[in-house]
Amino acid sequence: MIAPLTISAPLHRAGTALRRIGDQRTPLSIRGSLLLILFLSPIYGLAMGASDPTGERAWYMVYSALKMPLMIDCSAALCLPGFFTITTVLGLRDAWRDSIRAIALSQAAMAATLASLAPVTLFIYANGVSHRAALLTNGGMFLLAAALAQVTLWRHYRPLLNQSRRHWITLAYWLVAYIFVGIQTGWMLRPFIGTPGAAPTFFRDEPFSNAYVVVWNLVFGG
Amino acid sequence: MSQAPAEARRAGVFVALDDLLRDRLTTPQHVREGRTPLRIFLPWALVLGGLHGLFIGCYALFNGTTGATTHMLAVMAKLPALFLFTLLVTFPSLYVFNALLGYGLRFRATLRLLVATIVVNLALASSLGPILAFFTVSTKSYTFIVLLNVAILGIGGLASIAFLLRTMIRAQNAEQPLDATPDPTATAAPAAATETPRRALPLLFVWIITYSLVGTQMGWLLRPFIGHPGQPITIFREREGSFVEAIWNATAGQATPNNLRR
Repeated sequence: MIAPLTISAPLHRAGTALRRIGDQRTPLSIRGSLLLILFLSPIYGLAMGASDPTGERAWYMVYSALKMPLMIDCSAALCLPGFFTITTVLGLRDAWRDSIRAIALSQAAMAATLASLAPVTLFIYANGVSHRAALLTNGGMFLLAAALAQVTLWRHYRPLLNQSRRHWITLAYWLVAYIFVGIQTGWMLRPFIGTPGAAPTFFRDEPFSNAYVVVWNLVFGG
Repeated sequence: MSQAPAEARRAGVFVALDDLLRDRLTTPQHVREGRTPLRIFLPWALVLGGLHGLFIGCYALFNGTTGATTHMLAVMAKLPALFLFTLLVTFPSLYVFNALLGYGLRFRATLRLLVATIVVNLALASSLGPILAFFTVSTKSYTFIVLLNVAILGIGGLASIAFLLRTMIRAQNAEQPLDATPDPTATAAPAAATETPRRALPLLFVWIITYSLVGTQMGWLLRPFIGHPGQPITIFREREGSFVEAIWNATAGQATPNNLRR
Protein backbone atom coordinates (compact mmCIF):
# COMPACT_ATOMS: atom_id res chain seq x y z
CA MET A 1 0.00 0.00 0.00
CA ILE A 2 2.82 2.39 0.87
CA ALA A 3 4.90 1.86 -2.28
CA PRO A 4 2.29 3.01 -4.83
CA LEU A 5 1.57 6.10 -2.74
CA THR A 6 5.27 6.95 -2.50
CA ILE A 7 5.64 6.68 -6.26
CA SER A 8 2.36 8.34 -7.16
CA ALA A 9 3.01 11.55 -5.20
CA PRO A 10 6.09 12.66 -7.22
CA LEU A 11 4.41 11.50 -10.43
CA HIS A 12 1.36 13.58 -9.59
CA ARG A 13 3.60 16.59 -8.91
CA ALA A 14 5.47 16.01 -12.18
CA GLY A 15 2.16 15.84 -14.04
CA THR A 16 1.02 19.13 -12.50
CA ALA A 17 4.38 20.72 -13.38
CA LEU A 18 4.08 19.53 -16.98
CA ARG A 19 0.59 21.01 -17.34
CA ARG A 20 1.86 24.31 -15.93
CA ILE A 21 4.45 24.59 -18.73
CA GLY A 22 1.69 25.50 -21.12
CA ASP A 23 -0.43 27.41 -18.62
CA GLN A 24 -0.27 31.15 -19.23
CA ARG A 25 -2.11 32.15 -16.04
CA THR A 26 -0.10 30.18 -13.47
CA PRO A 27 3.05 29.13 -15.32
CA LEU A 28 5.70 26.96 -13.74
CA SER A 29 8.45 28.81 -11.85
CA ILE A 30 12.01 29.15 -13.18
CA ARG A 31 13.23 26.74 -10.49
CA GLY A 32 10.53 24.23 -11.40
CA SER A 33 11.47 24.48 -15.09
CA LEU A 34 15.13 23.89 -14.31
CA LEU A 35 14.27 20.86 -12.19
CA LEU A 36 12.16 19.46 -15.03
CA ILE A 37 15.05 19.92 -17.47
CA LEU A 38 17.40 18.24 -15.02
CA PHE A 39 15.13 15.21 -14.54
CA LEU A 40 13.48 14.83 -17.94
CA SER A 41 16.31 15.45 -20.41
CA PRO A 42 18.43 12.48 -19.17
CA ILE A 43 15.46 10.22 -19.97
CA TYR A 44 15.86 10.97 -23.66
CA GLY A 45 19.65 10.73 -23.28
CA LEU A 46 19.22 7.17 -22.00
CA ALA A 47 17.09 6.30 -25.01
CA MET A 48 19.35 8.06 -27.49
CA GLY A 49 22.41 6.14 -26.35
CA ALA A 50 20.58 2.80 -26.54
CA SER A 51 20.98 2.17 -30.26
CA ASP A 52 23.16 -0.86 -29.47
CA PRO A 53 22.99 -1.47 -25.70
CA THR A 54 25.29 -4.48 -25.68
CA GLY A 55 28.59 -4.82 -23.84
CA GLU A 56 30.66 -1.66 -23.50
CA ARG A 57 28.36 0.30 -25.81
CA ALA A 58 25.77 0.40 -23.03
CA TRP A 59 27.92 3.19 -21.60
CA TYR A 60 26.53 5.48 -24.32
CA MET A 61 23.22 5.44 -22.48
CA VAL A 62 24.90 6.83 -19.35
CA TYR A 63 27.05 9.30 -21.29
CA SER A 64 24.12 10.66 -23.31
CA ALA A 65 21.96 10.89 -20.18
CA LEU A 66 24.65 13.04 -18.57
CA LYS A 67 25.22 15.12 -21.69
CA MET A 68 21.61 16.07 -22.39
CA PRO A 69 21.08 18.47 -19.46
CA LEU A 70 24.64 19.72 -20.02
CA MET A 71 23.85 20.58 -23.63
CA ILE A 72 20.62 22.42 -22.78
CA ASP A 73 21.92 24.26 -19.71
CA CYS A 74 25.49 25.10 -20.85
CA SER A 75 24.22 26.72 -24.06
CA ALA A 76 21.75 28.78 -22.04
CA ALA A 77 24.37 29.75 -19.44
CA LEU A 78 26.70 31.04 -22.16
CA CYS A 79 23.99 33.17 -23.75
CA LEU A 80 22.55 34.56 -20.50
CA PRO A 81 25.10 37.34 -19.75
CA GLY A 82 24.51 38.88 -23.18
CA PHE A 83 20.75 38.49 -22.82
CA PHE A 84 20.86 40.20 -19.43
CA THR A 85 22.88 43.15 -20.74
CA ILE A 86 20.75 43.59 -23.87
CA THR A 87 17.57 43.47 -21.75
CA THR A 88 19.04 46.09 -19.40
CA VAL A 89 20.29 48.39 -22.15
CA LEU A 90 16.90 48.26 -23.85
CA GLY A 91 15.26 49.35 -20.59
CA LEU A 92 13.40 46.06 -20.12
CA ARG A 93 14.91 44.94 -16.82
CA ASP A 94 11.52 45.08 -15.09
CA ALA A 95 10.40 42.26 -17.35
CA TRP A 96 13.66 40.30 -16.95
CA ARG A 97 12.13 37.65 -14.70
CA ASP A 98 9.20 37.09 -17.05
CA SER A 99 11.44 36.77 -20.10
CA ILE A 100 13.76 34.32 -18.32
CA ARG A 101 10.76 32.30 -17.19
CA ALA A 102 9.48 32.15 -20.78
CA ILE A 103 12.89 30.87 -21.91
CA ALA A 104 13.15 28.34 -19.05
CA LEU A 105 9.62 27.12 -19.81
CA SER A 106 10.47 26.64 -23.48
CA GLN A 107 13.52 24.57 -22.52
CA ALA A 108 11.44 22.55 -20.07
CA ALA A 109 8.97 21.98 -22.92
CA MET A 110 11.83 20.70 -25.08
CA ALA A 111 13.04 18.35 -22.34
CA ALA A 112 9.50 17.09 -21.69
CA THR A 113 8.82 16.50 -25.38
CA LEU A 114 12.09 14.63 -25.81
CA ALA A 115 11.41 12.51 -22.73
CA SER A 116 7.96 11.67 -24.06
CA LEU A 117 9.49 10.66 -27.41
CA ALA A 118 12.03 8.33 -25.78
CA PRO A 119 9.78 5.23 -26.18
CA VAL A 120 9.32 6.06 -29.88
CA THR A 121 13.10 6.28 -30.37
CA LEU A 122 13.57 2.97 -28.51
CA PHE A 123 10.87 1.38 -30.65
CA ILE A 124 12.63 2.51 -33.84
CA TYR A 125 15.99 1.24 -32.51
CA ALA A 126 14.32 -2.09 -31.69
CA ASN A 127 13.51 -2.49 -35.38
CA GLY A 128 17.24 -2.82 -36.02
CA VAL A 129 17.76 0.38 -37.96
CA SER A 130 21.14 1.39 -39.39
CA HIS A 131 23.41 3.99 -37.74
CA ARG A 132 22.39 6.52 -40.39
CA ALA A 133 18.70 5.91 -39.70
CA ALA A 134 19.36 6.24 -35.95
CA LEU A 135 20.98 9.63 -36.57
CA LEU A 136 18.03 10.75 -38.70
CA THR A 137 15.54 9.50 -36.09
CA ASN A 138 17.20 11.57 -33.38
CA GLY A 139 17.42 14.56 -35.69
CA GLY A 140 13.68 14.29 -36.29
CA MET A 141 12.95 14.00 -32.55
CA PHE A 142 15.02 17.08 -31.78
CA LEU A 143 13.30 18.98 -34.58
CA LEU A 144 9.87 18.13 -33.20
CA ALA A 145 10.93 19.01 -29.63
CA ALA A 146 12.43 22.30 -30.82
CA ALA A 147 9.20 23.16 -32.65
CA LEU A 148 7.15 22.57 -29.48
CA ALA A 149 9.67 24.57 -27.45
CA GLN A 150 9.18 27.45 -29.91
CA VAL A 151 5.40 27.25 -29.49
CA THR A 152 5.85 27.43 -25.69
CA LEU A 153 8.34 30.29 -25.95
CA TRP A 154 5.99 32.21 -28.22
CA ARG A 155 3.02 31.62 -25.89
CA HIS A 156 4.84 33.00 -22.83
CA TYR A 157 6.69 35.76 -24.68
CA ARG A 158 3.62 37.16 -26.44
CA PRO A 159 2.39 39.23 -23.43
CA LEU A 160 5.86 40.79 -23.25
CA LEU A 161 5.83 41.56 -26.97
CA ASN A 162 2.47 43.23 -26.51
CA GLN A 163 3.96 45.37 -23.73
CA SER A 164 6.91 46.65 -25.74
CA ARG A 165 8.17 46.10 -29.26
CA ARG A 166 11.73 46.17 -27.91
CA HIS A 167 11.15 42.63 -26.61
CA TRP A 168 11.41 41.54 -30.25
CA ILE A 169 15.11 42.43 -30.11
CA THR A 170 15.74 40.39 -26.95
CA LEU A 171 13.78 37.47 -28.39
CA ALA A 172 15.74 37.66 -31.66
CA TYR A 173 19.02 37.79 -29.74
CA TRP A 174 18.04 34.75 -27.69
CA LEU A 175 17.00 32.66 -30.66
CA VAL A 176 20.07 33.50 -32.76
CA ALA A 177 22.59 33.19 -29.90
CA TYR A 178 21.04 30.03 -28.42
CA ILE A 179 20.89 28.20 -31.74
CA PHE A 180 24.41 29.40 -32.67
CA VAL A 181 25.90 28.26 -29.35
CA GLY A 182 23.65 25.19 -28.99
CA ILE A 183 24.80 23.69 -32.30
CA GLN A 184 28.44 24.07 -31.26
CA THR A 185 27.76 22.65 -27.76
CA GLY A 186 26.08 19.63 -29.31
CA TRP A 187 29.02 19.23 -31.69
CA MET A 188 31.55 19.37 -28.86
CA LEU A 189 29.61 16.97 -26.64
CA ARG A 190 29.26 14.27 -29.32
CA PRO A 191 29.20 11.28 -29.60
CA PHE A 192 25.66 10.74 -28.34
CA ILE A 193 24.80 7.61 -30.29
CA GLY A 194 28.28 6.33 -31.06
CA THR A 195 29.74 5.11 -34.33
CA PRO A 196 29.23 1.33 -34.69
CA GLY A 197 32.36 -0.60 -33.82
CA ALA A 198 34.04 2.32 -32.04
CA ALA A 199 34.83 2.05 -28.30
CA PRO A 200 32.56 4.27 -26.21
CA THR A 201 34.09 7.57 -25.09
CA PHE A 202 32.56 10.55 -23.31
CA PHE A 203 34.15 12.99 -25.78
CA ARG A 204 35.52 12.09 -29.19
CA ASP A 205 39.14 11.03 -29.12
CA GLU A 206 40.21 14.06 -31.17
CA PRO A 207 40.78 17.77 -30.49
CA PHE A 208 37.67 19.95 -30.28
CA SER A 209 36.63 21.43 -33.61
CA ASN A 210 34.20 24.06 -34.83
CA ALA A 211 30.94 22.76 -36.31
CA TYR A 212 30.52 25.76 -38.61
CA VAL A 213 34.06 25.55 -40.01
CA VAL A 214 33.62 21.81 -40.61
CA VAL A 215 30.35 22.40 -42.49
CA TRP A 216 31.92 25.26 -44.49
CA ASN A 217 34.85 23.04 -45.46
CA LEU A 218 32.48 20.22 -46.40
CA VAL A 219 30.38 22.46 -48.64
CA PHE A 220 33.01 24.75 -50.14
CA GLY A 221 36.18 22.71 -49.60
CA GLY A 222 39.07 23.93 -47.50
CA MET B 1 34.63 49.98 11.33
CA SER B 2 35.69 50.96 7.81
CA GLN B 3 34.40 47.71 6.27
CA ALA B 4 30.80 48.85 5.92
CA PRO B 5 31.54 52.09 3.99
CA ALA B 6 33.99 50.18 1.76
CA GLU B 7 31.33 47.58 0.98
CA ALA B 8 28.78 50.28 0.36
CA ARG B 9 31.22 52.00 -2.00
CA ARG B 10 31.82 48.75 -3.85
CA ALA B 11 28.09 48.10 -4.12
CA GLY B 12 27.65 51.71 -5.24
CA VAL B 13 30.04 51.15 -8.13
CA PHE B 14 28.01 48.16 -9.37
CA VAL B 15 24.73 49.99 -8.83
CA ALA B 16 26.12 52.92 -10.84
CA LEU B 17 26.93 50.62 -13.78
CA ASP B 18 23.51 49.02 -13.52
CA ASP B 19 21.86 52.45 -13.41
CA LEU B 20 23.83 53.55 -16.46
CA LEU B 21 22.77 50.47 -18.43
CA ARG B 22 19.18 51.06 -17.33
CA ASP B 23 19.29 54.66 -18.58
CA ARG B 24 18.87 56.10 -15.09
CA LEU B 25 22.05 58.17 -15.18
CA THR B 26 21.41 59.74 -18.54
CA THR B 27 18.27 61.66 -17.80
CA PRO B 28 18.31 65.16 -19.32
CA GLN B 29 19.32 66.59 -15.94
CA HIS B 30 22.23 64.19 -15.65
CA VAL B 31 23.45 64.99 -19.15
CA ARG B 32 23.05 68.74 -18.99
CA GLU B 33 24.51 69.06 -15.51
CA GLY B 34 27.23 66.50 -16.19
CA ARG B 35 26.24 64.29 -13.28
CA THR B 36 27.37 61.01 -14.84
CA PRO B 37 30.54 60.62 -12.74
CA LEU B 38 33.74 60.08 -14.68
CA ARG B 39 35.53 58.78 -11.58
CA ILE B 40 33.21 55.76 -11.68
CA PHE B 41 32.79 55.23 -15.40
CA LEU B 42 36.36 55.70 -16.55
CA PRO B 43 37.51 52.78 -14.33
CA TRP B 44 34.51 50.79 -15.57
CA ALA B 45 35.64 51.37 -19.17
CA LEU B 46 39.08 50.03 -18.22
CA VAL B 47 37.69 47.01 -16.37
CA LEU B 48 35.12 46.03 -19.01
CA GLY B 49 37.59 46.64 -21.84
CA GLY B 50 40.16 44.52 -19.99
CA LEU B 51 37.59 41.77 -19.50
CA HIS B 52 36.69 41.69 -23.17
CA GLY B 53 40.42 41.80 -24.00
CA LEU B 54 40.80 38.67 -21.87
CA PHE B 55 38.17 36.87 -23.95
CA ILE B 56 39.82 37.99 -27.21
CA GLY B 57 43.24 36.87 -25.95
CA CYS B 58 41.89 33.36 -25.28
CA TYR B 59 42.36 32.47 -28.96
CA ALA B 60 46.15 32.72 -28.77
CA LEU B 61 46.13 30.95 -25.40
CA PHE B 62 44.02 27.96 -26.48
CA ASN B 63 45.96 27.58 -29.72
CA GLY B 64 49.19 27.17 -27.76
CA THR B 65 50.89 30.19 -29.35
CA THR B 66 54.26 31.08 -27.80
CA GLY B 67 53.97 34.14 -25.59
CA ALA B 68 50.17 33.83 -25.42
CA THR B 69 49.96 34.95 -21.78
CA THR B 70 51.88 38.15 -22.51
CA HIS B 71 49.70 38.66 -25.57
CA MET B 72 46.57 38.23 -23.48
CA LEU B 73 47.75 40.77 -20.92
CA ALA B 74 48.67 43.16 -23.75
CA VAL B 75 45.20 42.81 -25.32
CA MET B 76 43.60 43.42 -21.92
CA ALA B 77 45.39 46.77 -21.87
CA LYS B 78 45.01 47.52 -25.58
CA LEU B 79 41.25 47.06 -25.88
CA PRO B 80 40.23 49.78 -23.41
CA ALA B 81 43.10 51.87 -24.82
CA LEU B 82 41.58 51.53 -28.30
CA PHE B 83 38.30 53.08 -27.16
CA LEU B 84 39.72 55.70 -24.81
CA PHE B 85 42.61 56.86 -27.04
CA THR B 86 40.14 57.20 -29.92
CA LEU B 87 38.01 59.38 -27.67
CA LEU B 88 41.08 61.36 -26.66
CA VAL B 89 41.96 62.06 -30.30
CA THR B 90 38.42 62.79 -31.48
CA PHE B 91 37.00 64.55 -28.44
CA PRO B 92 37.96 68.11 -29.44
CA SER B 93 36.29 67.72 -32.82
CA LEU B 94 33.28 65.92 -31.36
CA TYR B 95 32.80 68.76 -28.89
CA VAL B 96 33.08 71.40 -31.62
CA PHE B 97 30.59 69.56 -33.87
CA ASN B 98 28.18 69.47 -30.93
CA ALA B 99 28.54 73.22 -30.46
CA LEU B 100 28.32 74.07 -34.18
CA LEU B 101 25.30 71.86 -34.87
CA GLY B 102 23.41 73.62 -32.09
CA TYR B 103 23.19 70.75 -29.64
CA GLY B 104 24.84 72.89 -26.98
CA LEU B 105 26.20 70.28 -24.54
CA ARG B 106 28.87 71.65 -22.22
CA PHE B 107 32.46 70.38 -22.44
CA ARG B 108 32.36 68.08 -19.40
CA ALA B 109 28.81 66.92 -20.15
CA THR B 110 29.91 65.87 -23.66
CA LEU B 111 32.88 63.98 -22.21
CA ARG B 112 30.74 62.21 -19.62
CA LEU B 113 28.14 61.26 -22.20
CA LEU B 114 30.76 59.80 -24.56
CA VAL B 115 32.56 57.87 -21.80
CA ALA B 116 29.17 56.51 -20.68
CA THR B 117 28.53 55.39 -24.28
CA ILE B 118 31.89 53.60 -24.37
CA VAL B 119 31.03 51.84 -21.10
CA VAL B 120 27.70 50.65 -22.56
CA ASN B 121 29.53 49.39 -25.67
CA LEU B 122 32.14 47.51 -23.64
CA ALA B 123 29.60 46.16 -21.14
CA LEU B 124 27.60 44.58 -23.93
CA ALA B 125 30.69 43.26 -25.74
CA SER B 126 32.12 41.73 -22.57
CA SER B 127 28.78 40.17 -21.66
CA LEU B 128 28.97 38.34 -24.99
CA GLY B 129 32.57 37.36 -24.14
CA PRO B 130 31.67 33.92 -22.70
CA ILE B 131 30.31 32.94 -26.15
CA LEU B 132 33.57 34.12 -27.74
CA ALA B 133 35.68 32.22 -25.19
CA PHE B 134 33.56 29.09 -25.71
CA PHE B 135 34.20 29.17 -29.46
CA THR B 136 37.93 29.84 -29.07
CA VAL B 137 38.25 26.59 -27.10
CA SER B 138 37.15 24.61 -30.13
CA THR B 139 38.18 26.74 -33.10
CA LYS B 140 41.45 26.82 -34.98
CA SER B 141 40.05 28.92 -37.83
CA TYR B 142 41.40 32.47 -37.57
CA THR B 143 38.81 33.77 -40.05
CA PHE B 144 35.92 32.41 -37.96
CA ILE B 145 37.24 34.06 -34.80
CA VAL B 146 37.79 37.36 -36.62
CA LEU B 147 34.20 37.27 -37.90
CA LEU B 148 32.84 36.38 -34.45
CA ASN B 149 34.81 39.26 -32.90
CA VAL B 150 33.50 41.66 -35.53
CA ALA B 151 29.93 40.48 -34.88
CA ILE B 152 30.26 40.86 -31.11
CA LEU B 153 31.86 44.30 -31.28
CA GLY B 154 29.29 45.23 -33.93
CA ILE B 155 26.42 44.34 -31.58
CA GLY B 156 28.08 46.39 -28.83
CA GLY B 157 28.56 49.29 -31.23
CA LEU B 158 24.94 49.24 -32.41
CA ALA B 159 23.65 49.13 -28.83
CA SER B 160 25.86 52.05 -27.83
CA ILE B 161 24.68 54.09 -30.83
CA ALA B 162 21.06 53.39 -29.84
CA PHE B 163 21.88 54.41 -26.27
CA LEU B 164 23.52 57.65 -27.42
CA LEU B 165 20.67 58.53 -29.75
CA ARG B 166 18.07 57.82 -27.08
CA THR B 167 19.91 59.97 -24.55
CA MET B 168 20.30 62.85 -26.99
CA ILE B 169 16.64 62.75 -28.01
CA ARG B 170 15.53 62.68 -24.39
CA ALA B 171 17.76 65.63 -23.57
CA GLN B 172 16.33 67.61 -26.48
CA ASN B 173 12.76 66.67 -25.63
CA ALA B 174 13.32 68.01 -22.12
CA GLU B 175 14.79 71.17 -23.57
CA GLN B 176 11.91 71.70 -26.03
CA PRO B 177 9.49 73.54 -23.72
CA LEU B 178 12.24 75.99 -22.77
CA ASP B 179 13.19 76.76 -26.38
CA ALA B 180 9.78 76.77 -27.97
CA THR B 181 7.11 79.39 -27.52
CA PRO B 182 4.48 77.99 -25.16
CA ASP B 183 1.66 76.52 -27.20
CA PRO B 184 -1.62 75.93 -25.41
CA THR B 185 -3.00 73.61 -28.12
CA ALA B 186 -2.30 69.93 -27.65
CA THR B 187 -1.83 69.31 -31.39
CA ALA B 188 1.54 71.09 -31.42
CA ALA B 189 3.17 68.53 -29.13
CA PRO B 190 3.45 65.61 -31.57
CA ALA B 191 4.98 67.90 -34.19
CA ALA B 192 7.71 68.98 -31.76
CA ALA B 193 8.36 65.39 -30.75
CA THR B 194 8.87 64.25 -34.32
CA GLU B 195 11.14 67.21 -35.04
CA THR B 196 13.47 66.43 -32.14
CA PRO B 197 15.22 63.35 -33.56
CA ARG B 198 15.99 65.35 -36.71
CA ARG B 199 18.09 67.72 -34.62
CA ALA B 200 20.01 64.95 -32.88
CA LEU B 201 20.61 62.81 -35.97
CA PRO B 202 23.10 65.04 -37.88
CA LEU B 203 25.30 65.35 -34.78
CA LEU B 204 25.13 61.64 -34.10
CA PHE B 205 25.98 60.93 -37.75
CA VAL B 206 29.05 63.19 -37.71
CA TRP B 207 30.16 61.76 -34.35
CA ILE B 208 29.86 58.18 -35.61
CA ILE B 209 31.78 58.91 -38.82
CA THR B 210 34.60 60.73 -36.98
CA TYR B 211 34.86 58.23 -34.14
CA SER B 212 34.73 55.15 -36.37
CA LEU B 213 37.32 56.49 -38.84
CA VAL B 214 39.80 57.30 -36.08
CA GLY B 215 38.84 54.14 -34.18
CA THR B 216 39.59 51.97 -37.22
CA GLN B 217 43.03 53.52 -37.61
CA MET B 218 43.66 53.26 -33.85
CA GLY B 219 42.78 49.58 -34.02
CA TRP B 220 45.17 49.19 -36.97
CA LEU B 221 47.92 50.90 -34.98
CA LEU B 222 47.36 48.84 -31.82
CA ARG B 223 47.04 45.47 -33.59
CA PRO B 224 47.46 42.50 -33.12
CA PHE B 225 44.43 41.79 -30.94
CA ILE B 226 43.50 38.23 -31.82
CA GLY B 227 46.93 37.13 -32.98
CA HIS B 228 47.30 35.47 -36.40
CA PRO B 229 48.51 31.89 -35.85
CA GLY B 230 50.95 32.20 -38.77
CA GLN B 231 52.67 35.30 -37.41
CA PRO B 232 54.88 35.68 -34.34
CA ILE B 233 53.18 37.28 -31.34
CA THR B 234 54.27 40.85 -30.77
CA ILE B 235 52.84 43.58 -28.57
CA PHE B 236 52.61 45.93 -31.56
CA ARG B 237 53.20 45.32 -35.23
CA GLU B 238 55.46 47.58 -37.29
CA ARG B 239 53.74 50.70 -38.55
CA GLU B 240 52.63 50.03 -42.13
CA GLY B 241 50.67 53.09 -43.20
CA SER B 242 46.97 53.42 -42.65
CA PHE B 243 44.10 50.96 -42.56
CA VAL B 244 42.58 52.55 -45.66
CA GLU B 245 45.89 52.14 -47.56
CA ALA B 246 46.07 48.50 -46.54
CA ILE B 247 42.52 47.87 -47.75
CA TRP B 248 43.27 49.75 -50.98
CA ASN B 249 46.45 47.75 -51.59
CA ALA B 250 44.67 44.48 -50.88
CA THR B 251 41.79 45.24 -53.24
CA ALA B 252 41.80 48.02 -55.82
CA GLY B 253 45.59 48.53 -55.61
CA GLN B 254 46.03 45.02 -57.01
CA ALA B 255 44.04 45.94 -60.08
CA THR B 256 46.97 47.11 -62.19
CA PRO B 257 46.54 46.89 -65.98
CA ASN B 258 48.79 43.80 -65.99
CA ASN B 259 46.70 42.08 -63.33
CA LEU B 260 43.48 42.90 -65.14
CA ARG B 261 44.80 41.49 -68.42
CA ARG B 262 45.51 38.09 -66.80
